[in-house]
Amino acid sequence: MTINNALKAYLLLIPGLLPIVAFMSLVVGMAVSQSIGFFNFAGDDHFSLLFWQQMLTQDQFWRVFFYSARIAVVSAVLSVMLAYPVALWLRRPFPGSDLISAMIKAPILVHGLVAAFLFVNFISFQGFLNVALVHLGLIARPIRMQNDPYGIGVVVLQVWKNMPFAFLIIVGSVRAIGDDILDAARDLGAGRLARLRRVILPLTLRSLQASLILIFIGTAGDYSFQAVAGPININSMSQFMLRIQMDNAAHGWNEAAVVAVMLMVLSLFGSLAVAGLMQFAVRRAGR
Amino acid sequence: MALMANALAVERASLRYGKFQALKDVTFSASQGQLITLLGPSGCGKTTLLKAIAGFMPLDSGRIDIFGRDMQGVPPEKRDTAMCFQSYALFPHLSVADNIGFGLRQRRLSAAEIATRVSSVAEQVGLSLQLQKLPGQLSGGQQQRVALARAMAVRPGVMLFDEPLSNLDAKLRDHVRMEIRALQREHGFTAVYVTHDQSEALAMSDLVIVMRAGVIEQMGRPEEIYRHPVNRFVADFIGTANIMPVRILSRDQARGEYHVTCPLGQAVIRSATPPVGDHLYACWRPEDTVVATDSGNDNRFTFKVSARTFLGSLCDLSVSPTEDASVCYRIQTHGSTPVSEGQTVDVVIPPDTIRFLDEAIA
Repeated sequence: MTINNALKAYLLLIPGLLPIVAFMSLVVGMAVSQSIGFFNFAGDDHFSLLFWQQMLTQDQFWRVFFYSARIAVVSAVLSVMLAYPVALWLRRPFPGSDLISAMIKAPILVHGLVAAFLFVNFISFQGFLNVALVHLGLIARPIRMQNDPYGIGVVVLQVWKNMPFAFLIIVGSVRAIGDDILDAARDLGAGRLARLRRVILPLTLRSLQASLILIFIGTAGDYSFQAVAGPININSMSQFMLRIQMDNAAHGWNEAAVVAVMLMVLSLFGSLAVAGLMQFAVRRAGR
Repeated sequence: MALMANALAVERASLRYGKFQALKDVTFSASQGQLITLLGPSGCGKTTLLKAIAGFMPLDSGRIDIFGRDMQGVPPEKRDTAMCFQSYALFPHLSVADNIGFGLRQRRLSAAEIATRVSSVAEQVGLSLQLQKLPGQLSGGQQQRVALARAMAVRPGVMLFDEPLSNLDAKLRDHVRMEIRALQREHGFTAVYVTHDQSEALAMSDLVIVMRAGVIEQMGRPEEIYRHPVNRFVADFIGTANIMPVRILSRDQARGEYHVTCPLGQAVIRSATPPVGDHLYACWRPEDTVVATDSGNDNRFTFKVSARTFLGSLCDLSVSPTEDASVCYRIQTHGSTPVSEGQTVDVVIPPDTIRFLDEAIA
């Protein structure tokens, strides 16, 4: 590519890239600025690390942080773990495969909040699941499953909602592996497991990482699932951010900005860590 | 009962895709160190047969033995075969060295043994300097060699080539073709080579199998296939052939001489094998003809030249008998022969170069 062509390529990228970079910088800049005392809606603007100190020394903040991180990791890993074998199974078309594929993608069409309410109804004290379990004689009386303290309900909802996205990303890369490549591996003596470890997993690593990153970021910043089906005794980062902004009239925005920045930090480093671990695991499996 | 202990034996192999008969009663065998070519037009079943030997496609009926062992139910990974794919099928995420060593790792060889064998095979195919590169960084010819090296590294009993040169340019194709033949002779492995390029088949093979519609039409040494095609399909598919219907007028079987009538007029055919029936097809090759320089030859015919193509050392002429312009034949003369389009030319077709085909006219 000549310099002129490279320049033209970059110029053509500007209309797309510029708004993205501008809006991202604006949001990140605002959040960081507010967290250190600027854009202060309730007092003077001046540099201060007080809000950071107040947040980072709170046990509650760290419980919220690690809770959100845990939900994000578990949801992302489970979504990918469920989507991957299905994508492998549907790699080659067979009668009915299109229907199965469409059914897997169906949750994309249902809004998350609707799904959360339906789920809560389903598992509520007098919901379908409890009634069914009692009728089947598996339990003597209804058990409390709604808003469980471990966030299992949130994970179930996150996996239900995000698995189709993971499937969409992974199935493309799985289908891109030519039959000849797999036949060649087989011909050279690779059994089912060896083909998976040494050929399929490495060739689909990028899609696995992309799925993990996207799901991790989405799940870490979740508000609606947590608000409807999450534990009562602990908030997600988004919930916590909103709560402290509303509870603290004086410095609510500044403290919420600290939580927002930490959420971005969690999203960035958490997703990178998950993706890195996946790469490590795949490479190790391929040895 | 096991078939004869050939390196490879295929007996009455049949396979269908739905209603399409891909292979029908295919039978042949290859001894150790032989290079067999499966030759035929697209869709004739040659790749299907190769994949059946490799184990990717189970036969509907018949059997395949490799070194005397029935391959029924044996998966590809357990067969003593290695395949060079038309698309090369290199692992894009692995370096050249890892690609070549892939099969060796599956066989659980030690790291030292793998390294030794990879470097030895890479040297043989001229890839020593490319070992750390990824396949995407190599040219088509180099990728083809990696595929060859990868298959060779596992030292298979039977090597299977699925049109491995089809993606290469003409010059490189000739070069790699010679390399494959040299390596095959050096290592003595048995090879089954699929191609639709008849010149490739003639140049490389110990045995050529010509296939059409899932059936073997003829099997034999390259010279035999070329010189004695059994039917119009083989005669036409292998090289260029002028095929004409003939009716036998008289036979002198003691001398192997037959007087026939054909679209050219009356001709003499000399054949060691007596023809079956009196009304059949015969063929002659363009290069067997001689432009007559004096009078009195047998099989001397006058043609009108309708097209002339200069090919360097040769000149390819499209000609028709002067009495019947609707019939067209091809003859080849020396490149310097002074013949031009529209001119008439006297041509001799030596009697022993015309072959009867085993294909009677109903």
